[in-house]
Amino acid sequence: MPDRSTTRRSFFGLSAGAAFLCTIGGQEVRLDDPDAARKADVLAAQVERPPGAAPQDALTFPTPEPQPGGRKREYWIQARTRGWDVAPTGRDDWHGRPIPGKRNFRALVYQLMKPGFAAPNGPPLMPGPTLYAEVGDTLVVHFRNAATTLGQALTLHPHGVRYTPDYDGVYLGEHTRVGGFIAPGEEFTYTWEATPDSVGVWPYHDHGPNHTLNTFRGAFGAIVIRERGAKPPDVEQVLFLHQLLPPVTELPRAFQAINGRTAAGNTPTIQSRVGQDVALHVIGMDNNFHDFHIHGHRWKDAAGAFVDTPTVGPNETITARFVEDNPGRWLYHCHVFSHQDAGMAGWYMASP
Amino acid sequence: MRIRTAAVAALAAGLLIPAGALAQAPSYPEPANPGKVVPKPKGKGKTRTVCKKGCKFKTIQSAVNRSKAGDTVKVKRGTYREAVKITGPKKSYLKLVGTPKSPGRVVLEGADKKTNGVLVNGADEVTVRGIKAQNYTSNGFFFVNVVGYTAQNLIAAKTGVYGIYAFNSKGGTMRDSEAYYNNDAGFYIGQTPAQVKPIRSIVDNIDSWGNPLGWSGTNMRYVTITNSRFYNNAAGLIPNALDSEKFPPAEDNIIRGNEIFWNNFDFHKGAPFKIATEGTSALAPVGTGILLLAGRRNIVEDNEIYGNWGIGVALVQGILLEKNPQAVDLVGNEVRNNRFGLDGTDLNGRELAYSGNGSGNCFGGNTGVSVTIPADGSTLAPCPFTGANTPNDGALGEMLSLAGEASVAAWKRHPHVAKAGFEPLELYTP
Repeated sequence: MPDRSTTRRSFFGLSAGAAFLCTIGGQEVRLDDPDAARKADVLAAQVERPPGAAPQDALTFPTPEPQPGGRKREYWIQARTRGWDVAPTGRDDWHGRPIPGKRNFRALVYQLMKPGFAAPNGPPLMPGPTLYAEVGDTLVVHFRNAATTLGQALTLHPHGVRYTPDYDGVYLGEHTRVGGFIAPGEEFTYTWEATPDSVGVWPYHDHGPNHTLNTFRGAFGAIVIRERGAKPPDVEQVLFLHQLLPPVTELPRAFQAINGRTAAGNTPTIQSRVGQDVALHVIGMDNNFHDFHIHGHRWKDAAGAFVDTPTVGPNETITARFVEDNPGRWLYHCHVFSHQDAGMAGWYMASP
Repeated sequence: MRIRTAAVAALAAGLLIPAGALAQAPSYPEPANPGKVVPKPKGKGKTRTVCKKGCKFKTIQSAVNRSKAGDTVKVKRGTYREAVKITGPKKSYLKLVGTPKSPGRVVLEGADKKTNGVLVNGADEVTVRGIKAQNYTSNGFFFVNVVGYTAQNLIAAKTGVYGIYAFNSKGGTMRDSEAYYNNDAGFYIGQTPAQVKPIRSIVDNIDSWGNPLGWSGTNMRYVTITNSRFYNNAAGLIPNALDSEKFPPAEDNIIRGNEIFWNNFDFHKGAPFKIATEGTSALAPVGTGILLLAGRRNIVEDNEIYGNWGIGVALVQGILLEKNPQAVDLVGNEVRNNRFGLDGTDLNGRELAYSGNGSGNCFGGNTGVSVTIPADGSTLAPCPFTGANTPNDGALGEMLSLAGEASVAAWKRHPHVAKAGFEPLELYTP
């Protein structure tokens, strides 16, 4: 039985100012309620299928094809729940100390599957599988809501790529289109275009009736769109900066996380060698503004200025791209002090 | 092209009474639209136990009749001479459970008189586990007009049509089950309504052998068949398109990671079931691993395909369709990364055959391919491929000449490699 008062205090101590978590079915779910997640789930399960999202057998809508020379990049992705340990090593390797207390919760994640959902094609992780395409391609994402125990509609909503309203993957109440309400057990195939203005790295996430809670639970991933024929970096890593808060996890304390893990040794340890082209894509995925700092390195931002601690907001992406020239063990972290010291940090290991 | 014309005419004549018509004989329920799924009942429900002596319920049907949605009927070992019907939404989420670890201990016996071992009609998400059904005039286990079902740890043998069968339904699971010596197909999912947000059917770890067809899939959709074995049938799997059922052709199915071998059972020469002389089972080219007979966006990948003396994987347009010309052409089917011939130790007669009909059909990453129709492999466009394929009348004519038992004369026989626990079945001997 968690200490409810501690839960509330822990949360407000780390997230001042937020008045409510989300709005579901026309009702607010308040964060000062320790049962916020459960209540949100109950409300989400009661959300009825909007008329525009009905599974009409004869419904048709335009689906884009790849541009000449482009191809279909096909992914099979299911949403599912799983037990999630925020610190599998049980230690903070930076500060050399154990991480006490409970740290397992029920996460909602996207999992890459083999065609036809015949079998997993990778573990169910936070973030979900990274989707790759080049300009002129279409991303064809077969999405399945396999989180049947959650009992609520889910979606897959992309940033950055081009899509029609049907493939938006957003719940909009009675204005919801076909891809905005995928009930448990159902599949839907999203088709998105990689246009010239899609080049970059973008997030995707749940945008169903309970999107805020479900995104905070781990239902997010990244999309990488490159110019046609562009050489990929030698080292490429997506890093989501986010908090795992008690109202979401029902754990007694908040965790500052990168890719669902807290503290160096649990967060991704990135390996590179001198001379390699390194790209670190950093995306904010909570209610906070973060920044990203990696010791010993600088790079140019989009405006051409050299930076080493750019700001990254919710669902915003910054890319730190540089040629490795400074071998050593380096720390990377969010430089909001209350985040970095509490676990939003990891190792970057550059070998000679 | 006299041969081709004659062959098509013969096939069409044979299909005047197709398998689908058998499936809709008068004793069958009329198809209805499988509608919205009934919400799962709260709580565990009641459990009723059936046994031959000492139980309140002596028949499965009497226990089913007393059950409400979400209840469980447990059946103790024994032979039950009845045809169980689970009908209507008030029986949704019912669980009918025999002995899952040893399905042969609970036997439903049809004695060649009763129609279906278990018929689930209009009751969604019913689970049937741990039962053997045999000697029914139609099917062993039959799910129709439902949204979701689970068929697990079942055995279906010596039925008049199909072993385990789902028709006009959305979604469902068949797993860990076996079907043999059925008159038509061991397993069958057919007439799946097209859905924008489909509920997928998963078929995992099944064994189908000794049937004319290991798997029949007339107008089936959104089915994933994986981790299963199809062997010693006349033909392993035939996703197909027929006018006799709604919604042709077969679409969006995936046959992945299966073992498809030794499908050379010439049941025409003798079988422990009534031998059909017409319909798809009679026309199935004996010696075939997989035949896509029309279809769109079906994927055949990562399968082990060996020892089928006709053709390993064949694709031909909907030659049996007359009323649905829009469904004739093959579109967007992919045959990729399959392994043929078991590293050269157990060869197929031919590995790949394709008439070149349609568009967007492709072949890529397959290993062990040496003999094809056409011989020069000119129809086998590499993946990825968009645009029109290249029709080849010669290839089509050769494939049509292999229909039914006629294919046996054109077999390319090769020795089989020994396989522990399996014996090749070419001719049945009682």
